Amino acid sequence: MAFLEIDGLKKRFGSVEILKGIDVDLEKGGFLVLVGPSGCGKSTLLNTIAGLETITEGEIRVDGRTINDLHPSKRDIAMVFQSYALYPNMTVAGNIAFGMEMRGVPAAERQKAIDKVAKVLQIGHLLQRKPSQLSGGQRQRVAMGRALVRDPKLFLFDEPLSNLDAKLRVDMRIEIKRLHATTGTTIVYVTHDQIEAMTLATKIAVMRDGEVQQFGTPAEIYNNPTNIFVADFMGSPAMNLVPATIGGNGGGLSVVLQRDGREPISLPLAKPPAGLSAFQGKPVIFGVRPEALTDPEGAERNASNIATADCHIEVIEPAGSDTFAVTNLGGKAVVARLRADAKIQPGTMTPLAFNLTKAVFFDPATENRIL
Amino acid sequence: MSVVTTTARQDTGGTNTKTLNRIVIYGLLALFALFYLMPLFVMLVTSFKTMDEIQNGNMLSLPRAPTFEPWLKAWGETCVGLTCAGIKGYFWNSIKMVVPAVLISTLLGALNGYVLTKWRFRGHTLVFGLMLFACFIPFQSVLLPMATILGSLGRFGVTLQNATGLTFGLGNPTVNLVFVHVVYGLGFTTLFFRNYYEAFPTELIKAAQVDGASFFQIFRRIMLPNSMPIFVVTVIYQFTNIWNDFLFASAYAGTGDSMPMTVALNNVVNTSTGVVEYNVNMAAAMIAALPTLLVYVLAGRYFVRGLMAGAVKG
Repeated sequence: MAFLEIDGLKKRFGSVEILKGIDVDLEKGGFLVLVGPSGCGKSTLLNTIAGLETITEGEIRVDGRTINDLHPSKRDIAMVFQSYALYPNMTVAGNIAFGMEMRGVPAAERQKAIDKVAKVLQIGHLLQRKPSQLSGGQRQRVAMGRALVRDPKLFLFDEPLSNLDAKLRVDMRIEIKRLHATTGTTIVYVTHDQIEAMTLATKIAVMRDGEVQQFGTPAEIYNNPTNIFVADFMGSPAMNLVPATIGGNGGGLSVVLQRDGREPISLPLAKPPAGLSAFQGKPVIFGVRPEALTDPEGAERNASNIATADCHIEVIEPAGSDTFAVTNLGGKAVVARLRADAKIQPGTMTPLAFNLTKAVFFDPATENRIL
Repeated sequence: MSVVTTTARQDTGGTNTKTLNRIVIYGLLALFALFYLMPLFVMLVTSFKTMDEIQNGNMLSLPRAPTFEPWLKAWGETCVGLTCAGIKGYFWNSIKMVVPAVLISTLLGALNGYVLTKWRFRGHTLVFGLMLFACFIPFQSVLLPMATILGSLGRFGVTLQNATGLTFGLGNPTVNLVFVHVVYGLGFTTLFFRNYYEAFPTELIKAAQVDGASFFQIFRRIMLPNSMPIFVVTVIYQFTNIWNDFLFASAYAGTGDSMPMTVALNNVVNTSTGVVEYNVNMAAAMIAALPTLLVYVLAGRYFVRGLMAGAVKG
């Protein structure tokens, strides 16, 4: 039995269904990230777990206990809000201790708990300040301190890093990850940033329009997306999704990519997914991540299915650590990720290696993965 | 200001025209300010003059021998109707009415604003819309119904007294006025606080809920300590309105010992025995106006800030 279980959760506002039957579970000590574009219901889902929103149908259990109808304070959870939600009229110490004060914890015990948390987060010198006197990163720490001091069963984070600048965001991301590793707490975390999702999560739920599109480990989500939406949403730069057709090639199958003004590329598939033979001669969406499309020298040595084809390079983008090359296949701009020192010139025909073991295919009609 | 900028833009050439514009603008402003301050000036100088000087001198001239006598007389000796003990008793009547009325209506307004923004229920806009009627309803139209209600409350007070020996303030004119002003102030105080709390971050309430704070604990510990600007605005607004009210005061406490300052002032001026003591009348009027002036001076800084906060963020 999982630590956090959400079964068939539905949420309706009048006739509008915001959450359309969510099934998610998380093991103890796990880190679940709810990710999706804005308006997908991820924050609503978090609020229902917190008890700040009621649910229409379904069940939420934490550690075997159904918490559907419990008041937020009785659910043994702590929450970090997007705006940090620090009480402006109280000091940092007052903010951290407010929950304990409400629960009637004696003052001496409160002080002990504050000191302990302040030590963990290194905010001891800020305890007597008001939130308005703190920087963004410090506020973030205090907000985490307020959650930590409860020692709850479940931590809820609602886009906690979205108000920070880019550098601080990376620092705090690592901090949260370290905190998770050292304290072993169970966390549910909402973000629209797929990099945060990939780096932090042990489990990711990709959401769209109130439905979980895919639920799995970061590696599963990244390598085996179930549909075009997940494939497109996760990863940066995004996966190349190219209209293609499946050709028969003697016994095997091949993927045929159109190019304007030139012969189509035909890439033989060594181990095509079983469902693909039904698509012979029909259009599919060919998905290949930029790092699976590279210069032949930089291609993965032990990949079993690599096909090379000359492509017309339109633009190159040296990014320091890598060089991105843009070519045109099937009428779409396709990004290839090359080594930083790859010898490549825009406007030339250059051989690119397609790592087809990492390629995925989607049905254009249903947008689902062809397995 | 817009006049200045547009003329300055049209006229690219001359600093002379610009200076002239300035002179005209500031001249006009000064003139209007003077015009506006004139009655106050006349009141003030007259209140420090002797009757002799008033009858024989110029209304605008400064007092030749300033005297506090009219002020002392107005405070302690002048006749209000038939009793001649000054206006001090009525001044305290007003204080006794205005302080509870302001505090109760402000606190209730804050509570209403809190509920209407952070604990929304089905039909909350309708309820708020109905409350706004209190802001726009002509007070004359409620004089008679309110008199009927106050009459019933008074009779209930008598019943209570027969049963328990205490009226609990029912039927007391001051209590009646507090009740009337609270009821009619609620529309405005609710409007003020609702607009202020509309911009108040809801995540703070959510955080407090997760922390286990109850409805009233959130109100007392989170909302109220963060509402200082709008609190001051509401207090000033209510204080001025209730202190200056004459209609309700004369209708429900127009006679006897519990009449408020405004009614008493009217009676001072209308008491016609012998000569009209302009200096005493003016001093009494100044005394009647002082508390509102004082409130503005002490809290005016917050007043502008609070109005801006409500207007810009809301």
